[in-house]
Amino acid sequence: MSLLEDVMGGGVRGGTSIMYAALGETIGERAGVINLGTEGSMLVGALGAYAIAVETGDPWWGVVAGAVAGGMLSGLHAYLVVRRGASQFASGLSLLFLALGLTSLFGAAYVGQPVVALGRWDVPVLSDLPVLGPILFRHDPLIYLSYALVPLTWWVLFRTRIGLLVRTAGERSDSLEVNGYSAARIRAGAVVVGGMFAGLGGAHLSIAYANAWFENMVSGRGFIAVALVIFAVWSPLRVMGGAYLFGMAIALGPALQARGSELNQFALDVIPFLLTLIVLAVLGRRTLSAAPAELKRVFENST
Amino acid sequence: MTATMAAPESDLATAPPRWRGPLLVVSRWVLALAGALVIFSALLLAKGANPVDAMLAMVSSTFTQQRSVEQIFIQMSPLVLGALAVAVPARAGLTNVGGEGQIIIGAVAACGTFLLLGESIGGPVLVLLMLVASALAGAAWAGLAAGLRLLAGVNEAISTLLLNFVALDVLLFLIYQPWRESPTGQPTTLELADSAKLPVLAGTSVHVGIVLAVVLVVVVHLVLNHTRWGFRVSVAGGNSEAARRSGMKVPILLCSALLIGGALAGLAGMIHFAGVEYKLRPGFGSQLGYTSFLACWLARHRPFPILLAAFTFAALSVGSDSLQLDSGVPAASINVLTALILLAVLGFTASRKKASA
Amino acid sequence: MRKSTAGAIAGVAVTLVLTSCASATDPQSDVTDGAPGEGTTAIGFITVGPKDDFGYNQAVFEGSEAVKKAYPDMEILTAENVPEDDTAATTMEKMIDKGAKLIFATSYGHLDAALKVAEAHPDVVVVQQGNTITTDVPKNSGTYFGTVYEPMYLAGIAAGSATKTDKLGYVYAFPIPQTIANINAFEQGALSVNPDAETITVSTSDWCNPGKQQAAAESLLSQDVDVLTQHQDCTATVIQAAEKAGAMTVGYHADASSIAPEGWLTGAVWNWGPLYTDIVKTVVDGDFVGSEYNANFRVGYKTGTNPFVLAGYGDQISEATQKAITEAQAWLATDEGSPFAGPVEDQSGKVVIKDGAIPTYAENDGMGFFVKGVIGKLAQ
Repeated sequence: MSLLEDVMGGGVRGGTSIMYAALGETIGERAGVINLGTEGSMLVGALGAYAIAVETGDPWWGVVAGAVAGGMLSGLHAYLVVRRGASQFASGLSLLFLALGLTSLFGAAYVGQPVVALGRWDVPVLSDLPVLGPILFRHDPLIYLSYALVPLTWWVLFRTRIGLLVRTAGERSDSLEVNGYSAARIRAGAVVVGGMFAGLGGAHLSIAYANAWFENMVSGRGFIAVALVIFAVWSPLRVMGGAYLFGMAIALGPALQARGSELNQFALDVIPFLLTLIVLAVLGRRTLSAAPAELKRVFENST
Repeated sequence: MTATMAAPESDLATAPPRWRGPLLVVSRWVLALAGALVIFSALLLAKGANPVDAMLAMVSSTFTQQRSVEQIFIQMSPLVLGALAVAVPARAGLTNVGGEGQIIIGAVAACGTFLLLGESIGGPVLVLLMLVASALAGAAWAGLAAGLRLLAGVNEAISTLLLNFVALDVLLFLIYQPWRESPTGQPTTLELADSAKLPVLAGTSVHVGIVLAVVLVVVVHLVLNHTRWGFRVSVAGGNSEAARRSGMKVPILLCSALLIGGALAGLAGMIHFAGVEYKLRPGFGSQLGYTSFLACWLARHRPFPILLAAFTFAALSVGSDSLQLDSGVPAASINVLTALILLAVLGFTASRKKASA
Repeated sequence: MRKSTAGAIAGVAVTLVLTSCASATDPQSDVTDGAPGEGTTAIGFITVGPKDDFGYNQAVFEGSEAVKKAYPDMEILTAENVPEDDTAATTMEKMIDKGAKLIFATSYGHLDAALKVAEAHPDVVVVQQGNTITTDVPKNSGTYFGTVYEPMYLAGIAAGSATKTDKLGYVYAFPIPQTIANINAFEQGALSVNPDAETITVSTSDWCNPGKQQAAAESLLSQDVDVLTQHQDCTATVIQAAEKAGAMTVGYHADASSIAPEGWLTGAVWNWGPLYTDIVKTVVDGDFVGSEYNANFRVGYKTGTNPFVLAGYGDQISEATQKAITEAQAWLATDEGSPFAGPVEDQSGKVVIKDGAIPTYAENDGMGFFVKGVIGKLAQ
C-alpha cells in the first residue's frame, strides 16, 4: 500500500477516538462548559465498552455501555459545575482522577480477556475506489457512524432549535432565562451528551481499534481532544479534519519505520500542538472571539 | 441557580463573604469527607476487600513508619511549589494549567545545566546554578503563554495546557536522543553526580526541597499580602478596569504573576529531579502538575493551606502502596479516594465564589 | 480570622517538618548478623504492568505462584503497575517494612531503584530480572534472566518456513540489548531456513500502549508482512491485529493460540517457576552471597533449564519444520551452537562476529547492532 494511503487510512482509524471525544467536547464548550475530564470519560467509556462486550459477547452492547459510562462521568461534572458552581478546571481534573481510579479498580478483571470486537466492514463499491477506498471505506462501523455524526452534530448545533438553545446557553445565557428556558438544564444536557461522545471515543479505542483493555490505555487522547476543540475553533467540521491530522501524525512514524526510514516521532507528535499555538497566535483575538462568550468567562475567571 | 449566572464582576466587588458560623462550615467539611470515605468503602467492599481493615492498615502503615512519614514530606515538596505556581497567577485572575509542562522544563534545565557544567564544577555552586536555571526555564516556559496573552490575546488557560504537551515532547526527544545515557539502554539521562544531588536533612532521607518549599510558602504569602506588587496584582486580577483607571500597567502585572508562577513550577521540577529521581525518564513528573493544580484549588489558592493540601495528597499517595500490599486492591484505586475527597469538597463545602467558573 | 487559621496550619506544618527531622533515628540500623535475606518469611515481587496482562508481567505473577506452592508458609507480596522510577524504591521499602528480605524487581528499568534499595538495606536481597549490573555486583543483589533469544531463534525458523511474502514484522518498545538480540535471533532463525526472509521492525517507545501497537501492526501489515511478532509487555493487540488481517503470529511471553486460532505458529513463553524457586531456596538458606545468583546470572539451553520455552505449534507448522526446530534446539545446546554463530554481518554488510566465533551470553547481553536482513534503524 502506498505511504499516502497507509498514513491517511491509519490517521482515520487512529484519529477516530480523538474525534468522538473532541466532537463531544465541542458540544459542551458551545454551551459554555469546558471539561478536562474528557480523558476520564474516554477511560470509563473504554472500560465500560470492553467489559460489557466481554460479558454479553456483543460489541454493540459494548458501544452503548461506553456511551452511557462516559455520559455518567460527565454527568457528575455537569452537576458540580452547573448546580454547585464548582471550578470547571478543578472538577474536570478531579473526575479524571476518579476515572483513573475506578477503571483501575474494576478493570483489572478484564485485562487480557478476549473480546468479540467490532470487525472491519468494507463498504461495497466505495471501498474499491482508488486511493479513497482504502483511506475512507475499509474500516469498522463506528468509523462510518462518525462520518454521519459529524455533519449531524453540525446540523443540530447550527440549524435546529436545540442547537440554538445550546449555543445561546454558551453565548448569552441571560436571554434564555428571559425567554423561560433554564440555561442550567441546557448546559447540563450538553455536557452529558458531550461525555457520551467521549465514551464512544473510548469504546472505539478498546473494542474497535486496539481490541484490548489496559489500565490508562487512553494515554492522553482526551487531553488532545480538548486541545483539538480550540484548534478547530469550536466547529464540528474542523474537529474532523483536526482529529485526522492528529491521527496521521501518529500513523506517520510507524509507516516510515516499516519502510526502513525514520523521522523523529516526537517532532511529529508535537506538530499538532505547535500548529494550534501558532494558529492561536496568528489569529489571536479573532480565534478567541469565536469562542462562546460564557466559555471566555470561564477562562478569564477560572480561579 | 441564579448564582451560576452572576456576572463576573459582581462576585468579588459586591457580595460580602457569607459567613455562616464556623460550626456549619466545619460540619459541612466533615460530612463531605465522611461521604467520600463511605463511597470509597463501598467500592472496596465491592472488590472483596474489608474497607475498615484496608483503611486502618493504610493509616498505620503511612503514619507509624518513619520511612513513610519521610516519604510524605519528600512527595509533598514539589506539590507545594507546583501549587504555589498556580496560586500566584490566580491572584492576578489567571489560570495556570501548565504546571505539568513547567515542571518538566524546570527539570530539563536543571539536567542540562548538570550535563553542561557537571564536569567542571560541583557541589553547592552547581546545585545553585541548577536551581536558578530551573526557575528561569520554568518562567520562560510560562513566559511563552504570557507573551501569547500580551501580544495576541491568547488565553493563558489554553496556551499553558497546550504547552504541557510540547514540554513532554521536548523531554522525550532529549532523553531518547541527545541526552540518552547509552543508545542501547533505557531512555534515560546520565544519573546526577552525588555532588549535584540535593542534600538530605540530617538523619533522614528527606531532601532539603521541603525547606525550600516551606520558605517559599512564607515568601509568597508575604509578597501577595504585604507588598505593593501583591496588592496591585490582586486589584488587577479582581477588577482590571479599575486598576487601569488608577494607572496600573495591568498587562505587565499579569505577566509578572504568570512568570513567577512558572519559576515556582520550574523549581518544583528541579527538586523532584535532583532530590528524588536523579535521572530524567519518560514518565518524569507525570501528573505532578495536575495534582498541584488540585492541591492549590483545595487550598483555595492561599499559600499556608497549600501546605496542608499538599501534605494530604502526598499522604494519600504514600498510602496507596498499603492498599495494594495489605488489601490486595490495585494501587491506583487511591485515585478514587483522592477524587472523591476533591469532589466532596467541590460540591458540598461552601464555595465563597459561585460564578459558573 | 482566616489569617489566624492559616498561621496555625503553617505552624503545624512547619512543626511537623522539624519534628520529623529531629526525631529521626537511623533508618538503616536494623541490620542483622545473618546472611542477607536468610530465613525471610516474606518475598516481594514488583511488576511494571498489571499481573494479568497476557504477557511479561503475568509470567512473573505465575512464577510467584509457583514459589507460593513450593513455600506455602511464605508471605508473597505482589505490587503491580510499579513505574520504572523512584516510586519503585518506595514500594520496595514498603515491602521491607512488611518483613520481606527478598525482593524480585522484575522490569528492565527497575534496576536503578533495586540497587538503591539494596544499598540501603544490606540485610535484604534484591534481585532484578533482565538488566545487567555493569559495576561491581553488591553482595546482596544480582540480575537473572533466561536467554530469550534462543527460543526466538527457533520461532524464527517457524516464521521463516511459514512466510509466503518473505516479510516478517517485529513490534518492539525500546532498542535495549535484550530486544535487539531477540530481533536478530529471530531473523537469523528465519534466514537459516529461508535466505530471502527479512524482518521489518517498528518501535512503539512504550512497553504497553495498545493504540500505538495497533498503528505499528497496521503499518507492518500494509507492507505485506505475513508473520507478526513483538517485544511488548501486553500482547493482545498485535496478535489480534494479525489474526484479523489473516496474518500469522509468533507469540511472546504467553501462549496466545486461543486468541489467534488461525494464525498461531508458535512462540516463546516463560516458565519462571523453577528458577524463582531456586533463587528463593538459595536466599532462605543463607547461601546467596557468592552464589551464581549474586551476579549477572544467565541461563540458556547450554547451561540448564531456560525459563523461556517454546510454546505449542499451530496447524501451519509442518512436520518437517518441527523437526528442523527440534534439531536446532539440540544444536543450540552444544558448544558450537548459537543464534549468532559467526560469521554474522550487520545491516551494512560488515562482519561483526567472525567466522567460527561463538559469542558468550554476556557478550550477547550488550548487543548494539541489527544483523543483515533486519529493516529498521538504531539510534547512533
